[in-house]
Amino acid sequence: MTNTDVQPQPSSSDNQVKPSLEHTLSEFQDCIDLIHRSYPELHIDLLFFGHQVDHDRLYQDIMNPLLSGETEAIPTILKQSRFIRVRDSKELIIGILSGKAAIFFLQDAFLVDVFGVNSRAISQSETETVITGPHDAFTEQAGTNLSLIRQRIKSSHLKVIKLSVGEITKTDVYVLYIKDIANMDYVNKAIERIKFIEVDALFDTNMLLQYIDDAPYSVFPQFLTSERPDAIGSKLIAGRIVGIVDGSPSAFSAPTSFFEYFSSSDDYYQRWMLGSASRLLRFIALIITLSFTALYVSITTYHYEMIPENLLLTLTESRSRVPFPPLYEALFMETTIELLREAGARLPTKIGQTIGIVGGIVIGQAAVQAGLTSNILIITVAASAIASFVTPAYVMSASIRLLRFGLILLAGIWGNFGLAAGVTAIVIHMSGLTSLGSSYLTPVAPLKLKDWKDVFIVAPFKFLTERPSQSRSPNKVKNKMKK
Amino acid sequence: MSKDRVTIGLLVLLIFLAGCGDQRILERTGFIQSTSYDLLPNGRVKFSISLPKADPEIKVSREFLTTVALSGKEARIKLARETNLMLVSGQLRTTLFGLSIARAGLWDHMDTLLRDPTISEQAKIVIVNGDAHELLQKNYKEYPRTGQYVDRLVEKEATGHTIPLTTLYSFTRDYHDDGIEPVAPIVKDAGQNIVVDGVALFHGSSYVDKIKADDSLIFAFLRGNFKHGEISVDLTKDTKESKTAMLSSLASKRKVDVRHETNGRTTVNMQVSVKVSVMEYVGKFRLSNDAQRHTLEQQISEIMTNRAARLIKFLQEKKIDSIGAGIYVRNSMSYRAWKKLNWYEEFPNVNLQCKVKVKIKDYGFLR
Repeated sequence: MTNTDVQPQPSSSDNQVKPSLEHTLSEFQDCIDLIHRSYPELHIDLLFFGHQVDHDRLYQDIMNPLLSGETEAIPTILKQSRFIRVRDSKELIIGILSGKAAIFFLQDAFLVDVFGVNSRAISQSETETVITGPHDAFTEQAGTNLSLIRQRIKSSHLKVIKLSVGEITKTDVYVLYIKDIANMDYVNKAIERIKFIEVDALFDTNMLLQYIDDAPYSVFPQFLTSERPDAIGSKLIAGRIVGIVDGSPSAFSAPTSFFEYFSSSDDYYQRWMLGSASRLLRFIALIITLSFTALYVSITTYHYEMIPENLLLTLTESRSRVPFPPLYEALFMETTIELLREAGARLPTKIGQTIGIVGGIVIGQAAVQAGLTSNILIITVAASAIASFVTPAYVMSASIRLLRFGLILLAGIWGNFGLAAGVTAIVIHMSGLTSLGSSYLTPVAPLKLKDWKDVFIVAPFKFLTERPSQSRSPNKVKNKMKK
Repeated sequence: MSKDRVTIGLLVLLIFLAGCGDQRILERTGFIQSTSYDLLPNGRVKFSISLPKADPEIKVSREFLTTVALSGKEARIKLARETNLMLVSGQLRTTLFGLSIARAGLWDHMDTLLRDPTISEQAKIVIVNGDAHELLQKNYKEYPRTGQYVDRLVEKEATGHTIPLTTLYSFTRDYHDDGIEPVAPIVKDAGQNIVVDGVALFHGSSYVDKIKADDSLIFAFLRGNFKHGEISVDLTKDTKESKTAMLSSLASKRKVDVRHETNGRTTVNMQVSVKVSVMEYVGKFRLSNDAQRHTLEQQISEIMTNRAARLIKFLQEKKIDSIGAGIYVRNSMSYRAWKKLNWYEEFPNVNLQCKVKVKIKDYGFLR
């Protein structure tokens, strides 16, 4: 693809081409969805993409006022603010591409925003459900998403910066922050990185994030993504910056820490004790999903001493018919579960349920009866699979599931030593990670005990007075209630 | 870049070179849960092990193997020839020592138990009054696997403090400590079942004598503080009013006082205060009456004190300080003086007094 400017700016005056109907038409040659309406008696030509514009607005804003009047009245009408005079051909073309209608009148060209495509209605989030609290989720349209956030944060301090990424796709990326709450270092850093991207296409937020994250080789996501406007709103209030990508239903927030992925909006909509309990539960689930199967492998292969007397015989009995060593047995079961999960995710919901039943009954029950696995392993694998779905952020739970395989392998080779070495390696790796330059393990490293009451538990609201230290907000206090 | 590649290559190599040689896969491993040691007249040791069996195709619940060898580990190598399982000691719960080997001294045979890092320090030491091999070999129909049976029996009895819970750790500690001698529970075969026979007393690691099961709680009073005990006191001989009392929820506290008399004698005073709940009382006293209850308390205290005195006399005759009075004596003097003192010879000459004070804190619903 040829090098065009990332941003449609009329500033570059050197290679400006005066917009003309002929030039524009030749650019859009063979685009049959481009509609050309010509009104020779009025010297007006209209160009727009039929499926990109709202026809009601087209008639109301352009056709009716222009075509009903006299030719003499047209220049006066065109002075109205919705008609934007364009002096650069490139700008005009981008305008048409993004759903505006172009008007050629004599030698002048104008753009009018009559954008209106049919998009999915606002519906519930499929990936991040809550029980109490708002249910609406972002859609694929950035405008809708912006309005969802504006509805929640009615402040002139909420600033929106528009960027464009993708040489061909020209995807709009919006960076949002609250002035005087967000740290401008982060805002500038994020904008700079997004501007730096030079690719042909961008279709999703998670794609964008892989271009701008700090450590592209890491398994861990370094930006928090969410489909929930309330969650994203809370990130803004926390002093973080937020990004929206047109065409993607998930917004991202940064800087983020590892522990942020384990909090859900639900924690705040329930009583603080329940919120704290479920948050602690998620950290327990993290430990289970990471190490449970690996522990099974290492104990049954090397560390028989660790098993309590009563469990020893049951475990041995269930293992006695299995022809494989524990490592292969565990890898086999884990792979099966992953197959089930992947199949369930790709299939329509109704067939997905069938897969669940087939997987649950056939693989669970029959594998034990056939002597392929021990039933204690089935329990172990199932428990760690369930625990992995407890993590509210899907991207994080997927990363952790992947790491689990590494730990199982290490446990099979070196036993508990391997498991410990693996966990150590993960911790070392994580402590080196950064998100927009801030430590990924805040508030554990660097230690910020003040933050713990909003990270590992949810303290009663009157104690949650300050924004997280990670966002380095110039305005720290968010709750001025007297204690 | 190439340096990174070398590092990654080495790490990958490490995975493949690990070899997994020391695998102990569960179903191919025989977990020695109980062992027994008996001394044969020719000086060799009869060594028996009992392994639980988990294979559903095999009907028996355990495997029992015996051999004669010089040491425990040599025996294990010999026994390994008889079984398809890899013998490991990491699940060892109880070691049974026959009286024959206990008399000769346990220490030589404890070496492997302590040196092997897989063996838990919490493995129990139990002395068998008789032949340990025979006890372990026998299957007791109404009870679980014999090894587990002994283990559970000793553990349960130890929670009520009728016998001390002797683990490898506590035995070694008392063995090495100055001024106290190790003790261990002693059991015997009673035909249909196994019974706790009392407390075995050691000098060094050699068995000397035992305390009867009935007296073992009194011994526990003298040996240290504890909670949750039970004792039944026979009052018929010493009192007119009462026949028997069962005391439960016993909490005993020991206070030791050492005085060096001017004539060179050492006096050790033990004050044992016991708080009890009365669970059963047959007699004329009304326990809700303060005066009568106090009388009963005094009577019980007196009986207990007498029994304790008898026990102390017995220990002094045998020259074994199993109650640890020596520790207090040691702490009351300089290191040099203690080193000069032969406590083993000195112990019988010590004026060791014990006073038991019983307090009834609760007497149930009956007035």
